[in-house]
Amino acid sequence: MAEDLVLDTAIRDWVLIPLSVVMVLIGILRYFVSKLMRSYQSPDAKVVKEGQVVIRARSLRAAANFIPLKSFRARRAYFSNEENGLLYVPKGQVPNAQAQMFSDPNMAMDMMKKNLSMIIPQTLTFAWVNFFFSGFVAAKIPFPLTQRFRSMLQNGIDLSTVDVSYVSSRSWYFLNLFGLRGLFSLILGEENATDDTQRMMQMSGFGFDPTKSLSAEKDSLDIVQHEWALPKFEQRAEEVLRRLVS
Amino acid sequence: MVGAVEEAQLNRLENQVDNGGGGAWEYLCLVRKLKVRRSEKVLKHGLSILNDPKQRSKLGGEEWTLYEQVAIAAMDCQCVDIAKDCINALQRKFPESMRVGRLKGMLLEARGSWKDAEVAYSSLLEDNPLDQVIQKRRVAMAKAQGNISGAIECLNKYLEIFMADHEAWRELAEIYVSLQMYKQAAFCYEELILCQPLVPLYHLAYADVLYTLGGLENLQMSKKYYASTIDLTGGKNTRALFGICLCSAAIAQLSKGRNKEDKDSSELHTLAAKTLEKEYKQRSLTKLPLLTATLRNLKLPS
Repeated sequence: MAEDLVLDTAIRDWVLIPLSVVMVLIGILRYFVSKLMRSYQSPDAKVVKEGQVVIRARSLRAAANFIPLKSFRARRAYFSNEENGLLYVPKGQVPNAQAQMFSDPNMAMDMMKKNLSMIIPQTLTFAWVNFFFSGFVAAKIPFPLTQRFRSMLQNGIDLSTVDVSYVSSRSWYFLNLFGLRGLFSLILGEENATDDTQRMMQMSGFGFDPTKSLSAEKDSLDIVQHEWALPKFEQRAEEVLRRLVS
Repeated sequence: MVGAVEEAQLNRLENQVDNGGGGAWEYLCLVRKLKVRRSEKVLKHGLSILNDPKQRSKLGGEEWTLYEQVAIAAMDCQCVDIAKDCINALQRKFPESMRVGRLKGMLLEARGSWKDAEVAYSSLLEDNPLDQVIQKRRVAMAKAQGNISGAIECLNKYLEIFMADHEAWRELAEIYVSLQMYKQAAFCYEELILCQPLVPLYHLAYADVLYTLGGLENLQMSKKYYASTIDLTGGKNTRALFGICLCSAAIAQLSKGRNKEDKDSSELHTLAAKTLEKEYKQRSLTKLPLLTATLRNLKLPS
């Protein structure tokens, strides 16, 4: 069925553009509200130290070939020593981090605030879109889609013969939701609280788990084979000089 | 560290501002971004902006950052009164701020009242024990008072927590070198090479320290690091070239009695010597006989 439906330009004027404008405004509002509500979280000394340890271990792994073998071995022992190595975490402590994150009231409050500030506007806007802008075709997607998308994109339209490329305003809402992130980083500067997609990705991979990253670093450090790169440098230096002299 | 492009831009802006063209604000922003220490110029141009109420109101919220920058520059040039005025202005605007508290501590330091500054910093650290800048200021204070071992202690404690701060490692390395504790300095330089393996400065410094430590193994390693410096700088680093010659001479002397097989890298020092001669011919012809005499005296193995 490839008949071409002609969509009224009034749809564009009264549906698409107002919806985008409203979403932008809500995003800006959320940004300022989150700025007001943001409590200054003083960094925990242990967390900071672990972060720095990880950075140092990572740079050791990355540039191991630039320092002599003895120094590398000494540092590796310092990090992954069984008794008091920095990266060594006894097995019992590993599951603690998640429990700790829930029991720490500060962190829990913070996460709840962030979640709320994301969920509530989304829910409200979604309900508003459904209430006002449902039951008609809003736009046509330029590429063809399969029938499986019909239930997702055409929720208000009860005709089953309409081409799936004709979508309702709900899909325009979702498009804006994910697409306006770039616009927000332009208007609001780099750090803005409207990074919903990022936050959703963060929630699925659960937060900062220091002990796991430490043991991961330790494992990768144990694997590293030291191959001193300096002799190669000597030869390269020779070539450089030869080229300069000749 | 400042790259060549940024340095050129900075110098251009500086010339422009010095000769009466506009652009003082861009210059100050660039200085702030690159964290360069040009206190006199910052003081002069910053004050000219601050004393002109029209320009000051044009800055809007950035005015306070400018106050902070000018205050620090004034303290660096020992214009304590100007610094005091700036800090008072900031204090009126932000009464409970830690940044202003830090500036007041620095003012006490500039005046030389070390005990009061120490008290001020300790009270700030109580509220905020993980503030990096204040801990580093304590190290600087100890160093300024001549208490080098105290500075080393503070710096070591700082590095136990913030071990990824390469500026601190660099400072510690330089302090150790000044105290001739070369082994510890070598450790610090290794840390620096780990953080930024392709910066030739650290290779050069490490090679210097290894050469000073002496011993055949250290000399051989030092020669390799001079070679890596040459590689990283494209052969333009005169100090590394000299280093290669000196290392080769010292290695030859040390291994005179032993029957070492000829390493094929023995080409390196002859090449280095030739490059040095070429450089001196190009740049300072008068010193060329001095150079050739020195090289001959080194008795480089051929």
